[in-house]
Amino acid sequence: MIFVEDKGEKSNSDFIKNVKEMLGGETITSCYQCGTCASSCPVAKTTERFNPRHLLRIALLGEGDEILSGDAIWLCSSCYNCQERCPQKVEIAEVIFALRNMAIRSGKIPQIYIDFANGLMNEGRVVPVSKFVEKKRPDYGLPPLKPAGVEPLRKILAATGFDKLISKKG
Amino acid sequence: MEEARIGVFLADSGGQLSKILDFESITEFLRGIHGVTRVQRASEFWRGDGLKTIIDAVKSGEINRVVVAEGIPKIGEIAIAKSISSAGLDPGFIEVLDLKGHCAWPHRDSPREATEKAKAMLLAAIEKVRLSQPIEKAVFPAVKSVLVIGGGVAGMQAAEDLADMGFQVYLIEKEPFLGGLAARAVRFFPTDDCAVCIQSPTSDLKTVTHTSRKCIYRSGISEIPNLQILTNSRVIKLEGEPGNFKVTIEKKPRYVNDKCVACGLCATVCPVEVPDEYNAKLTTRKAIYMNMPIVYPPLYVIDGSVCKFHECAKCVAVCPTKAIDLNQKAETITLNVGSIIVATGFKEFDPSVIKEYHYGEYPDIITHLELARMIDSFGPTGGRIIRPSDKKEAKRIVFIQCVGSRDRRWNPYCSGICCMISLKHATLIKEAHPDADITICYIDIRTTGREHEYYYEKAREMGIKFVKGRPTEILHDPATNTLVVDVEDEILKRFLELEADLVVLAAAMVPNDGSEELAKILGIELDKDGFFKEYNSKLRPTETKMRGILICGGATFPKDVPTVSLHAHSAAVKAAKFLNEGKIVKDLRVAYVNEDYCGDCECCPVTCPYGAISLVPSGNGHFVARVSPLKCEGCGICVGTCPVGAIELNHLNSKQISAQIKALLSVNETSKPKVLAIYCSECGGTALDSAGMTMSYPANVRTLKVPCTGVIRAQHIIEAFKAGAQGVMIVGCKPEGCHYEAGSQMAKKKVELTKALLAAYGIEPDRLEMFNLVYIEGDKFAEAARMMSERIEKLGQLVIA
Amino acid sequence: MASYALFLGCTIPARQPQYEISARKALAKLGIELIDLENMTCCAPPPVKSIDLETGLAISAYNICLAEEADLDILTLCVGCFESLAMANTLLKENPQLRKRVNHILSNVGKEFKGTREVKHYLSVLLNDVGIEKIRKNLVKPLSKLKVAAFSGCHLLRPSELLRFDDPERPRIFDTLIEALGAKSIPYKNKLRCCGGLLRGYADDVALAITRDKIVNAHKAGADCISTLCPFCFLTLDLGQMLIKTTYKEEYNLPIIHYAELLSLSLGVEPKELALDFHKVKLDKVLEKIS
Repeated sequence: MIFVEDKGEKSNSDFIKNVKEMLGGETITSCYQCGTCASSCPVAKTTERFNPRHLLRIALLGEGDEILSGDAIWLCSSCYNCQERCPQKVEIAEVIFALRNMAIRSGKIPQIYIDFANGLMNEGRVVPVSKFVEKKRPDYGLPPLKPAGVEPLRKILAATGFDKLISKKG
Repeated sequence: MEEARIGVFLADSGGQLSKILDFESITEFLRGIHGVTRVQRASEFWRGDGLKTIIDAVKSGEINRVVVAEGIPKIGEIAIAKSISSAGLDPGFIEVLDLKGHCAWPHRDSPREATEKAKAMLLAAIEKVRLSQPIEKAVFPAVKSVLVIGGGVAGMQAAEDLADMGFQVYLIEKEPFLGGLAARAVRFFPTDDCAVCIQSPTSDLKTVTHTSRKCIYRSGISEIPNLQILTNSRVIKLEGEPGNFKVTIEKKPRYVNDKCVACGLCATVCPVEVPDEYNAKLTTRKAIYMNMPIVYPPLYVIDGSVCKFHECAKCVAVCPTKAIDLNQKAETITLNVGSIIVATGFKEFDPSVIKEYHYGEYPDIITHLELARMIDSFGPTGGRIIRPSDKKEAKRIVFIQCVGSRDRRWNPYCSGICCMISLKHATLIKEAHPDADITICYIDIRTTGREHEYYYEKAREMGIKFVKGRPTEILHDPATNTLVVDVEDEILKRFLELEADLVVLAAAMVPNDGSEELAKILGIELDKDGFFKEYNSKLRPTETKMRGILICGGATFPKDVPTVSLHAHSAAVKAAKFLNEGKIVKDLRVAYVNEDYCGDCECCPVTCPYGAISLVPSGNGHFVARVSPLKCEGCGICVGTCPVGAIELNHLNSKQISAQIKALLSVNETSKPKVLAIYCSECGGTALDSAGMTMSYPANVRTLKVPCTGVIRAQHIIEAFKAGAQGVMIVGCKPEGCHYEAGSQMAKKKVELTKALLAAYGIEPDRLEMFNLVYIEGDKFAEAARMMSERIEKLGQLVIA
Repeated sequence: MASYALFLGCTIPARQPQYEISARKALAKLGIELIDLENMTCCAPPPVKSIDLETGLAISAYNICLAEEADLDILTLCVGCFESLAMANTLLKENPQLRKRVNHILSNVGKEFKGTREVKHYLSVLLNDVGIEKIRKNLVKPLSKLKVAAFSGCHLLRPSELLRFDDPERPRIFDTLIEALGAKSIPYKNKLRCCGGLLRGYADDVALAITRDKIVNAHKAGADCISTLCPFCFLTLDLGQMLIKTTYKEEYNLPIIHYAELLSLSLGVEPKELALDFHKVKLDKVLEKIS
């Protein structure tokens, strides 16, 4: 590529291949840059930091490093409006999840996601229930909260390797 | 039939082949075969003295079967067959093989094995002709008349051509008027000429001056002697055979006869008023109406679905010529035609399903067809571009391209003409109203035809704006009654909210109503987008798999008028060719059903790509299959399908296949393990031909030709193994390119099944393999042959008890 | 009496007891039985999918297996949970390869996704099992003076190909159910647009700008309140107004109220039973219009 420094680590065509092999990333190459997603996006209308069409453009040129180490992929609010309107049925929101998955595998993960993951691994919930709130349940006439299935969840996380993804960073 | 007396003629190609093949040994071998009464060798046999030798032998009665090993087999075969049949021998008794390209050349490094293979090939050819049947020629009637379905540009052009050539033509149109989409389009790009202009007939009609083009209503198309125009008509049934179809037409009543002078009094008194579909419901019409501009016929028509008939009858009272007949009934008409041309065109996609564009909800969002009616000075707005909501002049107009096209949710294809239509409309409007503010939102601008790019230039020069970006939504501000188009200008990477008085959606072009029904009636196919499917748009345009039924124009795919014109004239020529002699003479190289064996499983009609097999009652409540020799292409897919062997090919029956298999594998002097390659006479054979020209491959690969790999059954493959083959190759066309449409896909399925069968019997399934090759892949055939030879050697000897 | 396995998710028990209280009370009054199953976990919303989509799918599938084993359909309150579970349910029912892949993971916990049950949001249970007529008949305090800006949240409707809940461009179910209570569901600009909630914690300024947009649009349209179905949207819009006050110096005082709370109130449940003090923007004006 002329305008981007050649970082030399991965060839451009490998990146697109890798995205397509990720769960959620399969449809990325159907994109023909019509821009419907951009004008459907509430985040793009609010800040220049994120534009789904632009993001896919860079990805389709194979600029993996720029995408995975960048800020843009974390700014999607997962509202699925782009995916709903895309005339090529690109699963844009899923592609962005896949790109986030790839970023985390490459070692880049924002703190808040580390917190979510810890909540999941420790208590089976991304938002842990505080003892304080749980104790108040009878006052509201609520039945006791059934404990979360932390053990089976941990087994699932071990089976998919989720725990290792986070332990790299957490 | 008399005993076979076989003459074998070996062409030496100027002495070249004998450098490789041992002709003495071959000749001795041949002389020892029962029934071979003559073996001769010369440089060539397809012309000159060589050919004369064969003809003399036939005429003298010395031989009644001919096997020729010829160096230029394809041309040679035709020349030999022609000459010998004029000498009185049925062409079914002639077999031509290629010892040069299929034996000597590719095996020049192993002459001993090449000679052995040559013997096997000749023996196979001899066994084949021994069992040959005569191939008759049948003559079928070809009625010199044509039915053209659809009275738009395509239909009218084709009808006129054929009528001028002297054919009887019936042009039917389901609407009450001719013209199709063209009549509503006002002007055609890229020249902006009138849409109602067509070629004028070349026949010299008195009182009509001859120019190259005329308006439809002035063209005299209705006065061409052998052209009959039926409006309000559609096809409801098809019977008969190609060249001699019987078509049933249903003609809806018009309620107005040809005494009508188009004065319009009836419409002024008619009390029924309905939205005018022709004018995109921008205005209303009466139950009795005529479309403007006048096309043909120049008669009013009554819309039977809204008319009050005898409860009212006001029109009848005022008509000065008594042209209205409210008692008119629908008519059923039967036509006998030799060929049918489908020219039913296309229609505009209804964008109301794209909810985010709010079509149908906000009245100021319209489609091109609706805009065209506004541009038309004959039209409902008298040529003014207005907002339907308040009838005010529309100054700010936004066009949106690809609405429903290139959209996997609706129509994945590009409709091809909408970019040009938008440019046409934008420039026409800008020309008439220079202060109009026009923007076109696009994904790509496609201006690929001749002069199309100049159109795009002109649009930019006139100050029409272009935004690269597909809008996500059209919003409406009720306070100002303005539309707002929400789009990203992706070149600027800026979000725009384009205010518009009028938004025009370039809606996709989709198959016309009734396509599915018509396809079923005629027995022709639709493609995956719902358009009528051409047999092969490169090499056999306008044809379908049903002989005698042609398709042209927008009915096959959206097209611009120049392309429609080409297509329509092409269809006319094809129809003319088909019917010109008034008869169809066909070689009966076709399939036939032995009705005693047919078990009414009803599989073969489904698998025949040409619809040539029908089921006829056999009298005991069951049916038997019957092949139409006129429609049959002789591929043998049905033979490969039939589970009991009730269908045979005239030109290659199952006994002949078995005999050839045995013969090819019997000559085994060198004792090298043999592979049998069964190849199709189309692409498969060409791969062998081209391999033979410059490549080499092992001589232990013996080759058997069939019309189509679809004829192959598991039985044949097992026979080959039993006869001594250690491996079997099937070589056919590419799956999407089978010259008989479906044969090589069926062969692939059978190969898969047979592999499983082999495995069940303890035979390695790898001994069987299918290859799909074309002419330019001769090297791949050579590679495949080598690979199979090596494979069977590794697998070791196979012994079948 | 229709029974469902109640899926609570995380945010409701952690921070939105008022949603759970009002939902349980209202559904009980309308004859829907809610069963609390053992060992449910987080549904695997976008924060989990962002880390690993396969893990997310497996976790969603695990929870569905619990309902399959209990022979019950799932009823969700939070639309985020609805999306995670309903998407997973449809994907796994219709894609055998994916199902095989997920079942391989689930075998580690002795579970197998069979595709025998449905995942529903409580709105469809209200619409189909209870019916508008029954709701109307049971109204004690119709909300006829209330102008409600309905906000279902993104995850009830999209991606419509998998969720198949309502028309994604012209949804009617939520509005119909609001109007069944006697209230008016008013149109307002960008009604179907996201609240920006999922950006909180990563880009708070962007999130707040999107949230403010929603508040302003509802306010401009004359809404008395915004009715939500998602606890996350609720927090974003409710707590968000506090942040809007400090960041933008604007005060809208637009109450945010769950549909379940409106339902309970209109069915006659006393406000004091509903733990309404969890609302940051106080509901006094709304309660006035109801009584």
